Amino acid sequence: MSKKNYEFGSFRDPAGRIFYKENNVYREINKNGIKRFEFIKKDNLINDLIDNEYLVNTEVSEINENKIILKHEKLNFISYPYEWTFTQLKDAALFHLDLQIFLLNKNAKLIDASAYNIQFKNNKPIFIDILSIDKYSDGEYWYAHKQFCENFLNPLVLCAKKGINFNNWFRGNLEGIHTKEISKLLSIFDLLSPTLFFHIFLLNRFEEQSSANPKTTNRKLNTTRKFSKKSYLNLLNQLRNYIKGLENKKIPSNWDNYSEKNTYTFKEEERKLEIVKKFVDENRIGFLADLGCNEGKYSEYASKQKKIKVIGIDFDLNVLDRAYKKSKKDNSNFFPIYADFSNPSNNLGWMEIERKSLIQRSKFDGIIALALIHHLTLAKNIPLEDVIRWLTSLAPSGLIEFVPKEDPTSRIMLKLKGDIFPNYTEKNFQDTLSKFANIKNISSVTNTERKIYEFSIKS
Amino acid sequence: MIFKKLILFSYFLFIHNHAHAYIDPGTGSILLQALLGLVAAVGAYITLYWRKFKNFINKVFKIKKKD
Repeated sequence: MSKKNYEFGSFRDPAGRIFYKENNVYREINKNGIKRFEFIKKDNLINDLIDNEYLVNTEVSEINENKIILKHEKLNFISYPYEWTFTQLKDAALFHLDLQIFLLNKNAKLIDASAYNIQFKNNKPIFIDILSIDKYSDGEYWYAHKQFCENFLNPLVLCAKKGINFNNWFRGNLEGIHTKEISKLLSIFDLLSPTLFFHIFLLNRFEEQSSANPKTTNRKLNTTRKFSKKSYLNLLNQLRNYIKGLENKKIPSNWDNYSEKNTYTFKEEERKLEIVKKFVDENRIGFLADLGCNEGKYSEYASKQKKIKVIGIDFDLNVLDRAYKKSKKDNSNFFPIYADFSNPSNNLGWMEIERKSLIQRSKFDGIIALALIHHLTLAKNIPLEDVIRWLTSLAPSGLIEFVPKEDPTSRIMLKLKGDIFPNYTEKNFQDTLSKFANIKNISSVTNTERKIYEFSIKS
Repeated sequence: MIFKKLILFSYFLFIHNHAHAYIDPGTGSILLQALLGLVAAVGAYITLYWRKFKNFINKVFKIKKKD
């Protein structure tokens, strides 16, 4: 009998908890949650949600009078909202509102609005927390409205109206962008929008008044009228229309036109694509990470195979957003996420393990790190050995491109800094890689001595 | 007068018992929604009377036309 491993991050709702067993994902529903689950099961709501691709596949695994165990479909990769691009968060927000509207029409509701309850499966948002669904009672308010604003609306507004990426702010706070913080950034012209006026400015005013005069607020709360279902639906639809119209304010970035401006020739590109294809086929890669992916060109062969899932990681949100839109359009298996490798998502939240670090979630069959290491060693001064140790810890096999100092890109990096990296040589690279892994192949790519090393971990 | 009554009616008649959710709903958010609901109710009220007024005008207009 293998042991149950409870998910540390699954504690907010006392009605149930996620656990892992034999590489499967289960949810234990205790006595408090049984009534809620019975409602979800009634009238086939659970199957409706699965059939309409709102909910991950879920089946009852065990049932008795004290608890219910559900078995959930296991997703390849859990990503967090602070790793998403503008369009990914926008899609998640629209999905959340669509799900609410779907549920409300079936006299059900969502009891929270956490962006962490949404994951991406084949580039489409999907809901993972079945216990967030409950019965709707006539006249109820949308209790998660403020949470929705902070998890979805405010970060999107920050990007769309102010041109500030939400990711690092979101990661610092974990619950999104506080209404009181974003309201300080809005100009008088921004407030001409009824959505921003009501859902940010006025909401903040009411919150301030509530905390300043709790007794008066309590009196007001006890006399508030019922909130009709029609008003509830109107509110959801208004927010939906507003968010649908939001566009990311363009902030030019260094890598915006990288795929056009890079120093490779067409032949070199072709050669790299060939090497990746051979690596993916020979190693029967099922789950690939494209590190420093840009628009995901080099992992395109893999992401077009039905059986292969690809996670692309980069720190340029503009190119990632374009890559996400392209992947959605092409219906490919490439899912881009945001991370700066010199400061990737760390363990966060309660006990510092509620939200897992990127490295902890990174269990791939293979990695490709093309034109990456010089950005970490020459631009960020990270020791070569540390970079190789990290790369070889992510997967049992992979491709790493060595870019020498003589390469035009390296030269630009060292122009002002000077050559302060005497250890950055191909010989050292090769020796260090041999310490951590077996070198299977070395392929030349360019005239400037860029080489791609294929490694496999020593067993 | 009717307008004022309707507001008071809609505000005080349905005293609502707040359900318990495991997240803190944020009292400001509930007050905001109450206000939005009220704005919608007033909007509906105005629309209703505007329609009545328009019908009335149309009727008068039609009668005048027949004459």
